[in-house]
Amino acid sequence: MPPSQCFPGFALLALDRAAHHSIASRSLLALPHTPRFSTSAPRYGPPPRKGMVAPPKRGTKTLNVKKGKSSPSRDTTKRPAPGDRKALRKRIVLSNNNALEVPTLQDLHKDTVLSGENEGLVKGLPEDVVDALRAVEAFKPTQGWRLFRRPAILMRKETTLLAALFREVEGTANGQAKMTVRKVLIGERMSGKSTMLLQGLTMAFMRDWVVVNLPDAKDITIAHTEYAPLPGSQPTQYTQDIYTANLLSQIAKANQSILGNLPVTTNHSLPIPLPSKSTLKQLAELAITNPEASWPIFVALWKELTQPGRPPIMLAIDNLSHIMRNSEYLSADVKPIHAHDLALVRHFVDRLAGKTPLPNGGMILAATSGSNAPTSPALDFSIQVAEARQLNPESIPQWNPYKNVDQRVMECLKDVGVLKVAGLTKAEARSIMEYYAASGMLRAQVTEPFVTEKWSLAGMGNIGELERVSVRLRV
Amino acid sequence: MVQVFGFNFPEQTLVKRLLETFYGIGPKVSQRIMARYHIYPFAKVGGLKNAQVLELNAELSNMKIENDLRREVQDNIRRLKDMGTYRGRRHAMGLPVRGQRTRTQITTARKLNKIERGGLGRVQM
Repeated sequence: MPPSQCFPGFALLALDRAAHHSIASRSLLALPHTPRFSTSAPRYGPPPRKGMVAPPKRGTKTLNVKKGKSSPSRDTTKRPAPGDRKALRKRIVLSNNNALEVPTLQDLHKDTVLSGENEGLVKGLPEDVVDALRAVEAFKPTQGWRLFRRPAILMRKETTLLAALFREVEGTANGQAKMTVRKVLIGERMSGKSTMLLQGLTMAFMRDWVVVNLPDAKDITIAHTEYAPLPGSQPTQYTQDIYTANLLSQIAKANQSILGNLPVTTNHSLPIPLPSKSTLKQLAELAITNPEASWPIFVALWKELTQPGRPPIMLAIDNLSHIMRNSEYLSADVKPIHAHDLALVRHFVDRLAGKTPLPNGGMILAATSGSNAPTSPALDFSIQVAEARQLNPESIPQWNPYKNVDQRVMECLKDVGVLKVAGLTKAEARSIMEYYAASGMLRAQVTEPFVTEKWSLAGMGNIGELERVSVRLRV
Repeated sequence: MVQVFGFNFPEQTLVKRLLETFYGIGPKVSQRIMARYHIYPFAKVGGLKNAQVLELNAELSNMKIENDLRREVQDNIRRLKDMGTYRGRRHAMGLPVRGQRTRTQITTARKLNKIERGGLGRVQM
């Protein structure tokens, strides 16, 4: 670019002077030759490439709509810490400060919990039982405990049946073999099977039984916890150390008053030393610090509990169909492991099948689930058979010979009894709705037509639906 | 950090993911390896026992993965090329090898069909 085309700037004179040494000392106004401001380059140069615009002036605000790392629209809020979301999802809320205290609500009492007089009444759960139930994860996040001031249960017809079974177990005369009740709770979705299980656990806690509750069979079989083959088992069984350790800590916490008073009587060959004169609670708590030894500890604890003179045992599981099929675990030769090959499940299933009875008596209770139940044709069929056996023994259904049968499941449920959790009667519905109204959660007069309406809307007294239409659904 | 097969992995990495970072291990092979050592599908590296890490290392060092496998694949392609076969030439040109049309849609071939297939690999510690 020739200098003659350019417009010289005054301010640059001093700089340009350096180029012209000969005149620099004499003339301040000598014309410079180097251009400092020119529009020619952009005018004659190639057009600017797209996306290569000059950056904005410092301090000006610009609209930045670019996607990507530095764009301001990116969500910069703090993420919840690992485990926070799950904790929120699994949170159990057992009280509602906005609900009214029900003055007529009476707590269950140890002496009367098994009596038939409670039928049709809503009863409160004593605080220590609530703590124990919470420790064994008997409350489920989907249940409506968070709606009321404190946990209370309706003693329905099925509860009375269950209580009668408890009385039978406890009433076995000395010298006779102690009775073991084995029941599967069945019923429609939201008919209160898990709550019935909770009621069973409540009775067991109040009658000073030892309670072992597997809160959800799904957790055992969906392969979310560590597993390892049990050495020396034929065919191979698999132990789940972390899960078992957690279960043992739950057992120790929930039954602390009973286990704390029972001493260890036999010598167990445990991989870790057990202090002498320790109690069963200490034995169970040993697993918390040594999860790798949790299975031998569980076996030892069970052996202790089945010694003569020990309290009856309540063994319960929810969501039964998950353990009546193949688990998600894989064996060493990449074959699915049947749930019954998991040591803990095997332990439960053997008792449910009646293969190993409980010497001190007790109850094995399993609840099916209506909402999260993988198909298990053998379980469905066994339940049908058990129902038919109770109702009309003349016509027992036959297995379709063209279908594959899971023989182990059939074997296990061969002679198990079922307890059908059906809809509430209108009297029971009225009782619980009066409790809803007294809690201030149902703002209506509980009259006969109102109860009938809601009872019908709830599919003939399905308690989950009844709660939904009368408490949860506010119109 | 846990070292497996010469690479460091943070504790919170899934074992499945760890295995599948290696050239030559995909979903099936990782499932097989994990089942063999009784590692559950959602296991994280931090949760592995020391013995399991050693077993994994031993298993991986006996397998043809990473650079060994890359070399084998590259050698196979180079052999085709050196013999002057059509397949070798197509590989060298980065074009489809098995008679596909080349008018459109040959991005996969462009991406994969090279003499140095699989790249140079990661650098081991």
